[in-house]
Amino acid sequence: MDAATWGLIIATFVACFVEMVEATTIVLAVGITRGWRAPLAGSALAALTLAVIVGTLGVALVTVVPEHLLLVLVGTLLLLFGLRWLRKAVLRFAGIVALHDEEEIYRKEVAELRAQGLRRTQWDWVGMIVAYKAVLLEGIEVAFIVIALAAALRHPLTAVPENWMKFGVGAMLSSFGVFWFGEGVGAHWPGDAASIPLILGAYLVASWLAVRLLNGLLPQGARVEARNV
Amino acid sequence: MFSVLRAIWDNTYGLLVDDGQLAVGAIAALAITWLIAASSSEALRENAGWVLLVLVLALVIANLYRAGHNARRRTG
Repeated sequence: MDAATWGLIIATFVACFVEMVEATTIVLAVGITRGWRAPLAGSALAALTLAVIVGTLGVALVTVVPEHLLLVLVGTLLLLFGLRWLRKAVLRFAGIVALHDEEEIYRKEVAELRAQGLRRTQWDWVGMIVAYKAVLLEGIEVAFIVIALAAALRHPLTAVPENWMKFGVGAMLSSFGVFWFGEGVGAHWPGDAASIPLILGAYLVASWLAVRLLNGLLPQGARVEARNV
Repeated sequence: MFSVLRAIWDNTYGLLVDDGQLAVGAIAALAITWLIAASSSEALRENAGWVLLVLVLALVIANLYRAGHNARRRTG
């Protein structure tokens, strides 16, 4: 396997891990607050839905769409995903958006679920739907990334250096997005896939510059919600 | 029914877009690159990828700079 394939494998693995952590945070919150049966059923149902989506859309994309159009489509999706992650990670490094937001998500989810209450005799539809939605949405993100690249318990998750992974994967996905979109529209990359590290390096330098720029603007950080910036 | 469709749309949109300006800017950069590749000389078409990279990097830095300014204004 060449370096580009290894890059793809690593980016896919880390992206899957980040999404898995995000979905698990919510399923854990539901399970610990309201019991495990409904969130596990919701997670299983979401996994089934994902299998159907990947089996139909994924296969159709790879087999029906012409190669250059597939490169353009995949490049566009990867670039949109990658830039979204890269932006959030840089804002976190600059202290503008709070780090460790899995912990905050967990606490918020637990508080909301407790506020809703539960009668023991009835099936927990709320718990099932919350788990279903979390697993499905995070899973769809993974499915997008995988299709494209393939052409304890209460607090342990907060120890995962999620922002570094999101930053790395964001930069890698954006790099592959630019590379493949360029190939799709007929651009020539010197050394072909060997130019991917150069593109990645440009993203890393730009991100480092952006963090410096933001630290200059807001030396103390701001800790505001991502959607407010 | 309408609210379910709306929820599906909101969640799908949220998967790809955190910041509307960044997403629109990225799509504009992709469109410019496509136009350059489709309608210009061979030399320009071969370098369209680098044009895209420069456009996207400028977009990311400009977007983050704007985000920093917005955050500074909010925290006053």
